[in-house]
Amino acid sequence: MPKPLHADGPSAEPILAARALTKRFPGVLALDHVDVEVQEREIHAILGQNGAGKTTLMNILFGLVQPDEGALFLRGHQVEFRSPHDALAHGIGMVHQTRRLVSAHTVLENIVLGHPRVRGVLNLRRVAPEVEVLCNKYGFTVDLAARVWQLPEGERQWVEILKALYRGAQALILDEPTSTLTPPEVTTLLAGLQALVRDQGVTILLVTHKLPIVMAASHRVTVLRSGKVVARVRTADATEDMLVRHMIGRDIAVRTGKRSGEPGLPVLQVDRLSAVNDKGQLALQDISFSLREGEILGVAGVTGNGQDELAQVLAGLRDAVSGTVRFDGRDVTGLSPLAHWRVGIGYVPAERVEVASIAAFSLVENTALNYHFDPAFARRGLLDDARLEQLTRNILSGYDVKAPTARTRAQHLSGGNLQKLILGRVLSRKPRLLIAHLPTQGLDVEAAAFVRAALLDAKADGAAIVLISEDLDEILSLADWVAPIYEGRFGAVLPRAEADIETVGAMMAGWSAKEVRVQ
Amino acid sequence: MRLGRYDVTLEPRTTRPAFYSSLTAAGAILLALALASVLFLSAQTPLLEAYRAIFSYAFFNPNGLLATIHRSIYLLLCTYAFLVPLRAGLWNIGLPGQVYAGGVAAFAIPFVFRTQEAQTLSLPPVLLILLMVASAAAAGAVVGGFAGILRARFQVSEILVTMMLNSILFWLVAYMIKEGGPFMSPRGEGESFALPPALHAPLLWGVPFTAVLALGAAVFLDILFAKTPLGYRIRAFGQSPAAARYGGIIPLALSLLVFLLGGGFAGLAGYHYFAALPGVYKISGNYGYYGDLSFYGIISALIARGSSLGAVPIAVLFAGLSLGARFAQGELRLPFGVDYALLGLLMMTFVASHVLYQFRVAWRRVPSLALRHAPTQLPPG
Ligand SMILES: Nc1ncnc2c1ncn2[C@@H]1O[C@H](COP(=O)(O)OP(=O)(O)OP(=O)(O)O)[C@@H](O)[C@H]1O
Ligand SMILES: [Mg+2]
Repeated sequence: MPKPLHADGPSAEPILAARALTKRFPGVLALDHVDVEVQEREIHAILGQNGAGKTTLMNILFGLVQPDEGALFLRGHQVEFRSPHDALAHGIGMVHQTRRLVSAHTVLENIVLGHPRVRGVLNLRRVAPEVEVLCNKYGFTVDLAARVWQLPEGERQWVEILKALYRGAQALILDEPTSTLTPPEVTTLLAGLQALVRDQGVTILLVTHKLPIVMAASHRVTVLRSGKVVARVRTADATEDMLVRHMIGRDIAVRTGKRSGEPGLPVLQVDRLSAVNDKGQLALQDISFSLREGEILGVAGVTGNGQDELAQVLAGLRDAVSGTVRFDGRDVTGLSPLAHWRVGIGYVPAERVEVASIAAFSLVENTALNYHFDPAFARRGLLDDARLEQLTRNILSGYDVKAPTARTRAQHLSGGNLQKLILGRVLSRKPRLLIAHLPTQGLDVEAAAFVRAALLDAKADGAAIVLISEDLDEILSLADWVAPIYEGRFGAVLPRAEADIETVGAMMAGWSAKEVRVQ
Repeated sequence: MRLGRYDVTLEPRTTRPAFYSSLTAAGAILLALALASVLFLSAQTPLLEAYRAIFSYAFFNPNGLLATIHRSIYLLLCTYAFLVPLRAGLWNIGLPGQVYAGGVAAFAIPFVFRTQEAQTLSLPPVLLILLMVASAAAAGAVVGGFAGILRARFQVSEILVTMMLNSILFWLVAYMIKEGGPFMSPRGEGESFALPPALHAPLLWGVPFTAVLALGAAVFLDILFAKTPLGYRIRAFGQSPAAARYGGIIPLALSLLVFLLGGGFAGLAGYHYFAALPGVYKISGNYGYYGDLSFYGIISALIARGSSLGAVPIAVLFAGLSLGARFAQGELRLPFGVDYALLGLLMMTFVASHVLYQFRVAWRRVPSLALRHAPTQLPPG
């Protein structure tokens, strides 16, 4: 465990302090007189459940949101951030929960883009050496000429960090930096952050709801619960148990799903399915499997191995180049997305903000995204608004979504609550086949347990589920069949009983079934 | 800014009371008029007299009022032509081209049925008028739909395509009405033949029936977007094409549909201007002026934020002020172009008021520096 570099007694002047920050949104008190102190050259974790107010707090520290009450202090002097521009000018940078890079641009362009100095004409040749010097200084090796879309997620994260450092950030705010990373990428990221703090004197504010990350990387923790600071501790003095109880305020209530009976009729048969990605490269090759009612197939793999393409082809959003998908005995390959919804195939995409919801629409209007074509929700040619609202309310209460009202805009929901809403909406259609892509990504412990229970309920009610996840524990705890995916191929489709963690893990890394057995 | 123990800042408004939008709109109009005083003062015209001339002609003089109504109908139809694709996130700036297409297609009906001169009509006039309306709407729709297809199928920018169509159709009209062109007037003055009186659009109190279309569409479009599945799909697509596709909406069909609808409205505007206005009933040589005028449809759609009913007062205002200022210009010997200057000022103040309307003044108490106590012991339970 890293040791704090500075004595953090009450006498040390904090580099950044927030006093009595209060932020109200219509119907929610997102922050309630929050005090936070960040010492120079520390990794300070902000821990809290979904909707605790973490993102709101960080947005205030970065000038994106103005508090209703309270003030910010930089080295003891009061400052006011009217916009991120002010925060940057004071040496505070932020890496957001969602990537903000332009994926068609090169790494270099992304780093210098938007820098106040290059606002007019962009003279890449002049700034390139500067960026290289910066990269060397921070020991960061990436091809500056590479296009961002070619990079794995872990490196994109570094590009964002570098972008902030290039603008002279001395303190970095990272909002859920690990939620889209694979375990090895997380390790690399944390090691890199520690090096930044140790060697470069950077200060880091790390927002997360993942305890192991807090324990492994931070010096101090501030725990938020329902908008209030409930604990402020040195990590060295903390235990995971204690942090969990601060975070939740009681013991975890884990909802268990219904027990299911025997698998039923065959629902899905996929035969030698292949598909290309957006760049026209073969991303999915010869996938075959079948699934019955009440069965879960867990597709385990590191992101970027064809999972997106698999989910999209099954949902009708991407054409197959060869192979067939049969649903209830009927060939559905090539049918439109709408036809897929109509026959009873439901899809929960990984991109909840960009694909699965519309930020500016109310929750009721978001519900309509899966119901606008449903005759039961039309009355005399108009959408049945009352019925949509009723359904939305049921989803909000049934899935424990924290939202002021059903008319709130989706953009005002915290990440975790939005995810629960989407899952609830898709499940409310009672799909016979559910494709769930990263359904617990970004959820806190309790919410993730809730979502898993909801999947088990759907299974008990006879749905067939294709669960695509990076979390091997999740797959092993839910699935009846396990299919490790690597570079667009299934290593095997194993019955749960034969799928032990070593075998599946090895296949996820590209070992073939034969090699694994020889081992 | 610091005031005693309070901090005062401008910040984005999270909730926007509806009555504010009418209030800011009224403020914007007053501000534009106030700014326009500079123009009048520089021309040494008594201010009150100038304003009186503008408003009394536009809204109180019987001739002026009628002209205002006629022009409002035209602007409204142009507004819808832009507004429908706008709700789907697409920019139909091909209004002039679609207006010209509507005009030409309307005149093609009497031309084809050889009724431009003869007193003998081959078909009942009502039927011919209906055909003219339908053909104008269809022609506008085809021109609009062409851009829609290119956009949806081949990702060609709808802005480029519609701009190019504008100039193509401008020259098509010029060809049709020039000396020797098919629609040439018998006297050959660079304008089209005049419609025979039987084919003049029926009037209600001096106003052509297109007024009913324009007002009916105002109600219809708002309901379409707020309440119907189709309107929902258009809005969803406008907000997020990826989410719309996920929800089963077909991008190609939707883009085509909104451009067909929009183009249809522009075609109707062409019909209205060239074939339904008392005293016109021909494609006149200065048809390009009306093409340019159609761009005010874009502005009123933007100011009304996509609401068709909201666009009605704005279109009336634009129509009235442009006519009134033109009248005052002649009457009081104001500098040339005051009508354009006034519309320009209005646009600017509307845009500025929109920005202001997004923000509010916030008061915040500055807290003391002491750190509140937070426990490090476990909470009870
Ligand atoms: N702009 C907004 N308007 C209205 N409510 C908001 C807005 N932003 C956040 N909220 C509400 O404030 C609360 C805190 O949200 P915040 O995004 O800060 O949570 P979080 O701790 O980051 O959660 P997560 O782990 O799910 O991302 C939530 O109840 C959310 O619905
Ligand atoms: Mg968050």
